[in-house]
Amino acid sequence: MANLYVKAVPPADLNRNTDWFMYPGVWTTYILFLFFSWLLVLSIFGCSPGMAWTIVNLAHFLVTYHFFHWKKGTPFSDDQGIYNSLTWWEQIDNGKQLTRNRKFLTVVPVVLYLIASHTTDYQHPMLFLNTLAVIVLVVAKFPNMHKVRIFGINADK
Amino acid sequence: MIAIPYLTALTTHFSYGLLFVFGHVRDFFRKLMFFTNDNLQGYAPICLGAEDFYIRRLYLRIQDCFGRPIASAPDVWFDVVERYSNDNNKTLKRTGNISRCLNLGSYNYLGFGGADEYCTPRAIESLKRFSPSTCSSRVDGGTTLLHNELEECVARFVRKPAAIVFGMGYVTNSAILPVLIGKGGLIVSDSLNHNSAINGARGSGAIIRVFQHNSPDHLEEVLREQIAEGQPRTHRPWKKILVIVEGIYSMEGDFCKLPDIIAICKKYKAYIYLDEAHSIGAVGKTGRGVCELLGVDTADVDIMMGTFSKSFGSCGGYIAGSKELIQYLKYTCPAHLYATSISPPAAQQIISSIKVILGENGSNRGVEKLSQIRENSNFFRSELIKMGFEVLGDSDSPIMPIMLYNPAKIPAFSRECLKKNVAVVMVAFPATPLLLARARMCISASHTKEDLIKALEVISQVGDLVGIKYLLGEADKQQQERMKLE
Repeated sequence: MANLYVKAVPPADLNRNTDWFMYPGVWTTYILFLFFSWLLVLSIFGCSPGMAWTIVNLAHFLVTYHFFHWKKGTPFSDDQGIYNSLTWWEQIDNGKQLTRNRKFLTVVPVVLYLIASHTTDYQHPMLFLNTLAVIVLVVAKFPNMHKVRIFGINADK
Repeated sequence: MIAIPYLTALTTHFSYGLLFVFGHVRDFFRKLMFFTNDNLQGYAPICLGAEDFYIRRLYLRIQDCFGRPIASAPDVWFDVVERYSNDNNKTLKRTGNISRCLNLGSYNYLGFGGADEYCTPRAIESLKRFSPSTCSSRVDGGTTLLHNELEECVARFVRKPAAIVFGMGYVTNSAILPVLIGKGGLIVSDSLNHNSAINGARGSGAIIRVFQHNSPDHLEEVLREQIAEGQPRTHRPWKKILVIVEGIYSMEGDFCKLPDIIAICKKYKAYIYLDEAHSIGAVGKTGRGVCELLGVDTADVDIMMGTFSKSFGSCGGYIAGSKELIQYLKYTCPAHLYATSISPPAAQQIISSIKVILGENGSNRGVEKLSQIRENSNFFRSELIKMGFEVLGDSDSPIMPIMLYNPAKIPAFSRECLKKNVAVVMVAFPATPLLLARARMCISASHTKEDLIKALEVISQVGDLVGIKYLLGEADKQQQERMKLE
């Protein structure tokens, strides 16, 4: 496994905040991270597997909503603030819609939702919270929502 | 093309994720605990949003690996000032001790960084005659005999009709590009170009497109697409197209594919701007840079730019081109009209070092230096590859980055090497892509064989300790295959 090499071609992306997503290994790291956090939640809380998946789904919702769709700009100042009005989701792939990365990131919350609702046997209140999470995340990732700020929430000053 | 072991890619992503999470947790608690009510109510914050997140939470943790003060000339062996920190690297204090270290970080390609028997006396003489600064811009009172001589010397060296010199290399790029091209123009730049070229391109107001590093096919694709579409929204034809490439890329150590790129630029009638900051003086049979090395006629390159801080042991930058171009720049470039001209002793140092390289001072030290740096680079690179490190760059290139990848290996490698008196430079995000952190070695013509062998020993030991010999199996396999063929 350690001898498995991947070729890393530097992508033609000037935005250092998002070009790391075009390198190999990101998707696998993301999926493995979700799986291991499920194991962690199970071992800490000692709850049923379904509850653990619900907790992972909701935590994933909060974290990805905050970092992908709420925080704007980049965590360094070398680019002189040209991305300061764009969230991370709007910055990736140079703003091009419906690329492979974007499709993958849209599918992950849906798959998490299906796993969480299946393992909890579609009971309330977990079903309601999970559905809310998946609707918000998927709608935020629609191509039509590019640079849209509903009711001016999170718009620039 | 960099080959990353898959497991390393996963662990690197995970490490950066962990550092990111820790940084955010600390920021959260800082916001909670320290609600300071300074009398700055109503003023806008200096840092917008989380602009300084990377600096505060990632860079400051390993700050002692960067910006180390040195207490001597950047020769092959130099004095590094020791520092310590009481608050986890947020502030560093000097101890007052110095340690003599082997210099693998300075851009001292031909060894002019230390005292030179021909250049230094002449620089001191010009210091006494012309004083350290001209105290004026070129147009007012800052053009001395040395400046004219320097421009002629540079034009002759680079084999172009005329040249213009500036006091600072970074400024050469960032002040010239806005003059050469403006709104309505198109700049196509290599994705790994230096920050100075990117800054200049952004300041020019032209539309910037990027092509994949060193890929003439992708350049052709981008040019075709852009020429067919024209300017954004109006679709009018572009006023001017400028392609910016570098001779040696300082973070990769590989040469530009100049012949192919020039052929494509000629086909699509685009101007080409060659930034030879690292390659001028260091490569080529007589040190004339990457054009000589790759057999390209300098008349084919429209604008040649270079700096004097790498191979010539001085400071400043130049632009070389046709007489009309240089005449135009002298009337319009703000760095020429308003900035102080290059310091006279610095100019004399450049003139003397060019004379040494070309052999015009009567000795063949220039030829020796050029062959020495080529031998040193090839020896060092082949030894590192034999040891199993992943080294980037082409053969004959004096820059060799060793891939580290994981963020924790950056300070580990740097500190362990410093303990063994070898000073290396680390390059991490955002100068390189996130995953591809590296240690960059710059070989000099003044490095003796013993110095290189000592450096190789230390790097091998530290490499074992830190675990960066990613291609160990591959190196052995290649050797076995070669043995089988023989």
